[in-house]
Amino acid sequence: MTVAEKIDAYLDTVEEWLHGLYHGMIEHPSFEKIEKEAEDTADVFMFACFADAFGIPSPVSYYTAELLPYLTDEFVQWERRMWDRESLLERKGQQYHF
Amino acid sequence: MHKFVFFGGKGGVGKTTVSSAYGVKCARDGLKTLLVSTDPAHSTSDVFDQQFDDDPKAVAGYDDLWAMELDPDEEVQRHMLEIKQAMSDQVSPSIVNEIENQIELAHRTPGAYEAAMFDRFIDVMKHSEEYDRVVFDTSPTGGTLRLLALPEFLESWIDRLTAKRKESVDLFEKAAIGDKEARQKLRDDPIINRLSERKEMFEFAGRTLREEAAFYIVLNPDELSIEETHRALDDLTEAGLAVGGLVVNKVAPEPDDDETGKGATYLRERHRTEQQRLERIRTEFEQPVVAVIEQRVSEVKGDLLSEVTDELGIDTEASPPQA
Repeated sequence: MTVAEKIDAYLDTVEEWLHGLYHGMIEHPSFEKIEKEAEDTADVFMFACFADAFGIPSPVSYYTAELLPYLTDEFVQWERRMWDRESLLERKGQQYHF
Repeated sequence: MHKFVFFGGKGGVGKTTVSSAYGVKCARDGLKTLLVSTDPAHSTSDVFDQQFDDDPKAVAGYDDLWAMELDPDEEVQRHMLEIKQAMSDQVSPSIVNEIENQIELAHRTPGAYEAAMFDRFIDVMKHSEEYDRVVFDTSPTGGTLRLLALPEFLESWIDRLTAKRKESVDLFEKAAIGDKEARQKLRDDPIINRLSERKEMFEFAGRTLREEAAFYIVLNPDELSIEETHRALDDLTEAGLAVGGLVVNKVAPEPDDDETGKGATYLRERHRTEQQRLERIRTEFEQPVVAVIEQRVSEVKGDLLSEVTDELGIDTEASPPQA
């Protein structure tokens, strides 16, 4: 192995590490945060649409039922999340990895 | 005169009689008229001695008169089946069961009945090109008013839902950093499309009710009915709907002077108090009293109906709806 090749290999490793570091410290957490936020907003939307799933009569559920065929997967996941979720703190805390 | 004419009022004041008579009157004046009953206890069939259903049917014995009775139960069923159909086209069967409960629940909530009725209302209004006049015999005050106030309420609700949905889809798009595929995309989101379709429908209903519809309230010369009318008028005005006038029904006739029996005395007494109340109605309400109809001894149908029709002072003259 020539010196030039050795340097190249070394630089590659450094780049990989830097990228990993960047991903772990900046990219992934922010991605995760935005996605969590998106999920939370989606939950609010689902709740506004299907409040009657939790026993709250909603005057629009007759109309929003029309959306169900397009929301099936989301709906099932959402319902499960809503029943499972222990507290908002727990949910918000998930973004910190200790 | 507006294309859509609504008759409302407390239960039992004779809305069906008055709206039937008005329908007959319009038809007689050469307007192709559709009489729509929205009262769950349908009695148009009794007035004309003919069974009507959810599709317009020509009324026997009258030219240019058609009638139909809206059935929200049928509409609720139809709506539910439609959604289930769309489901089985879209979703894998394993998940369908979980969702089916929710669909059935949504069709059994208290609002479902109203929403279905409202859908039918809009449907009738939308597909009424062939008629010159559509007369709605509405269910007793409370229900109808809620129904008529729906468009604005639902519009703003749908607006909020759409905004929330856009927000969440937008966030999902942003979360897709780098070459990651977004979980949801704003463009061709079926939910937003569906919601805006609904919104258009409510806008159409609101516009039509405000611009092309006239409302008449039927009342009897008694305290309860007068109170109820006050409330109904307040609600309608609040919803931005103009009330064309009041129809006072079931007014006791005055006996002849030479009649002095017990019955005649009772009737004279009654006639007097009712005349006082009539006076009160005329002064208390800004809306004009467009007709005073005498109480009949028997059910109003056949010849009696045409008598009542003659007493009805509501103009049927067709003029283009206000723009």
